[in-house]
Amino acid sequence: MKMTPKAVVIGSLLVLAAVVFVAVILPYADTNQTVPSEIFRSRVSEEAAGRLIYIQNGCVYCHSQSIRKVDWGLGADRIAQAGDYVEDHPILLGSARTGPDLSQAGGEHPDDWHIAHFINPRYTRPVSIMPAFEFLGMDRVATLTSYVQSLGLKAADRRMERQRFWKQEAIKAYEAGPEANVRWLNENVPQGWRDVPNPYPTTEAGLARGHVIYQNFCLGCHGPVGDGMGPAQPWIYPPPLNFTILKGREVSGGVLYYQIMNGITGTAMPYFKRELESQKIWEVGDYVAVYFINQSDANSEPRGIDAAWEP
Amino acid sequence: MSNPSPTYQTAKGFCLTSAFWMIVGTLMGLIGATELVAPDLTKNIGWLVFGRVRPIHINIVLFGFVTPGLLAAAFYYFPRLLKTELYSERLGVVTVVAWNIALVAVVLTLMLGYTQGREYAELIWPIDVAVIVVFLMVFFNFIMTVKQRTEPVLYVSVWYALAAVILTACTYALGNIVWRPSSGALVGIPDAIILWFYGHNVFGLLLTPLSAGVTYYVIPRSVRAPLYSHTLSLLGFWSLIVVYTHIGTHHLLQVPVPTWLKVIAIVDSVAMVIPVMAFLINIWYTAKGRLGEIHADIGAKFVFTGTIMYFFVSIQGSMMSLPDVQRVTHFNNWVVAHAHIGVLGFAGMIALGGLYYILPKVTGRPLYSRLLADIQYWLVLIVSIGFTVVLTIAGLIQGNGWLNGETVYRILPQIHPYYVTRASLGLILVIGAALGFYNIVRTLFVRSGEAVT
Repeated sequence: MKMTPKAVVIGSLLVLAAVVFVAVILPYADTNQTVPSEIFRSRVSEEAAGRLIYIQNGCVYCHSQSIRKVDWGLGADRIAQAGDYVEDHPILLGSARTGPDLSQAGGEHPDDWHIAHFINPRYTRPVSIMPAFEFLGMDRVATLTSYVQSLGLKAADRRMERQRFWKQEAIKAYEAGPEANVRWLNENVPQGWRDVPNPYPTTEAGLARGHVIYQNFCLGCHGPVGDGMGPAQPWIYPPPLNFTILKGREVSGGVLYYQIMNGITGTAMPYFKRELESQKIWEVGDYVAVYFINQSDANSEPRGIDAAWEP
Repeated sequence: MSNPSPTYQTAKGFCLTSAFWMIVGTLMGLIGATELVAPDLTKNIGWLVFGRVRPIHINIVLFGFVTPGLLAAAFYYFPRLLKTELYSERLGVVTVVAWNIALVAVVLTLMLGYTQGREYAELIWPIDVAVIVVFLMVFFNFIMTVKQRTEPVLYVSVWYALAAVILTACTYALGNIVWRPSSGALVGIPDAIILWFYGHNVFGLLLTPLSAGVTYYVIPRSVRAPLYSHTLSLLGFWSLIVVYTHIGTHHLLQVPVPTWLKVIAIVDSVAMVIPVMAFLINIWYTAKGRLGEIHADIGAKFVFTGTIMYFFVSIQGSMMSLPDVQRVTHFNNWVVAHAHIGVLGFAGMIALGGLYYILPKVTGRPLYSRLLADIQYWLVLIVSIGFTVVLTIAGLIQGNGWLNGETVYRILPQIHPYYVTRASLGLILVIGAALGFYNIVRTLFVRSGEAVT
């Protein structure tokens, strides 16, 4: 083959044109009439403005918006569909997960958690490596929050409704004073869990492990001494629970486990069942019970069959 | 009208451009890597927030360091291979100046948050237009030089460079949706498809063919041997353009895009072994038994090392397109490792090799310091391999942890040591870039008669 200038330039342009037809134009014809999915709705203007802030600050480089079949983490219960993106302009699928996928982030937390988290992510998530966004100013942080709370669209709206409902309940309980607040918290734990003591014995090793979990997950809100005065506290209402008020208030190991596992919707207390497996939850619960409540039911009756691992 | 001593001003200009922006591009990478280790170090400095630093790093490395470096060599080998002068040094110098102005605009706009938010297509519309114009200026200069050639046969380097600049001008316009200035994007899934069609072609139709062009020039020249096979050149060139352009959708295998398009992307990704091995066999057989010559020339040494990196990055790339592999590697640092072995180890190495190969020829003097160039070679080599190793490990920890049900947050402390190592390697690379810049500036601006070491 003789490679004349024409052969090189016209030839390669023709090849490119053919490929563009196959790899761009045909797929466009195939996908541009995608029907909106069942969770789809348009964004309101505040959410769209927040999306621009998301784009300007390159959030897409660390957060995908695309849940896969193999996923477990945040939002993993709804696998992405083409119809979720029909108004995304540009689409923000992302290519890396230095942080979690955000497709379904809306309504996972109440707004005040997000504000504290944007002011400094380490306030709510102590080992996060996300940048602080205090420089945006409170107005734009609020706008960005409204975008994040819309992620998941109609599914996010349902979650936000639950957040708003339980926030009112939680505020009512908090403002009724510590006694009433703890009673309300306990009453919302199923009786079976309230009756269960922490099945693990208190050991030095277990407390050390619980300490690490506490530092990585809890310290930002509940503070290093468990008095609810962590760095996130000024931004959060109702404020983080002060563990030192729980002594003698029927807070069993099971209650602690249940609240850590499921979280308290409406408050900044997230659920940790995606992040922490059973033993980790029991051990951080016992760490809180031993050091902050000063009252632990670890390894007390009812215990059932003797556990094989007991020292 | 032939000028007895060509000035090579354009080639020199692109040398300086590449050497300077290598410092900026790697420094941005270092800042970003440091932020992943110590996120509050640059707390509340909005223009240095990670999400703005990362696209600056990528755009500057691609369009500030690697592309100008490869073009510098092309502006040298065009007149040499075509036995004529460059059509217009003046146009070339204007191109260099315009290119640098565009790069300054890239840094400033991205720092201020003016971005279209699409990976590899972040630049706002006016800069998009400027990029297309400079590519067309380069193409015009090349094609007019071809037109006035006195050598009838077009050598393979010329094919690659011509195709790279004209095809990139087209795919850049397409991928950046230049007909929609306000957003530079389509809507929904079609936007993702066209974005990754373009995004992958930054490597497929710009860096790879330009690197191949430089390699096809430097290796046979430095070993003083004819090219092994013309047929392999043809096969490598045409199969590259046919195959590479199809594979962008392998970035979207886990996304709801049409399955037939994923199949095309996977099949062609595997088929990439054809252009890759056609090129590598051709180069390696040309150099066979003559590695001493390569070792003796610092430019050829960089280029040849780049071809070895190309082998690894390409085989890895084909493998990563397989859905089973991607289940582990997608969304994590494995891909970042792949990008670094590709852009730094392969294209970056060859760009530096091109610079060091042509510098003595365009200045008519030996390099200011062969020792500094050798030190830079080793620093770049150690850092390329180091990045690849630590980021691959980090990626495997992430990917397998996630598959095992651990959350992104839980894995962060585990990859922290690798992030620290990566940032340290980044510092070494910035030092390497600074040494290279010093060496190149001294080589270009030393006065004649001055002692050179």
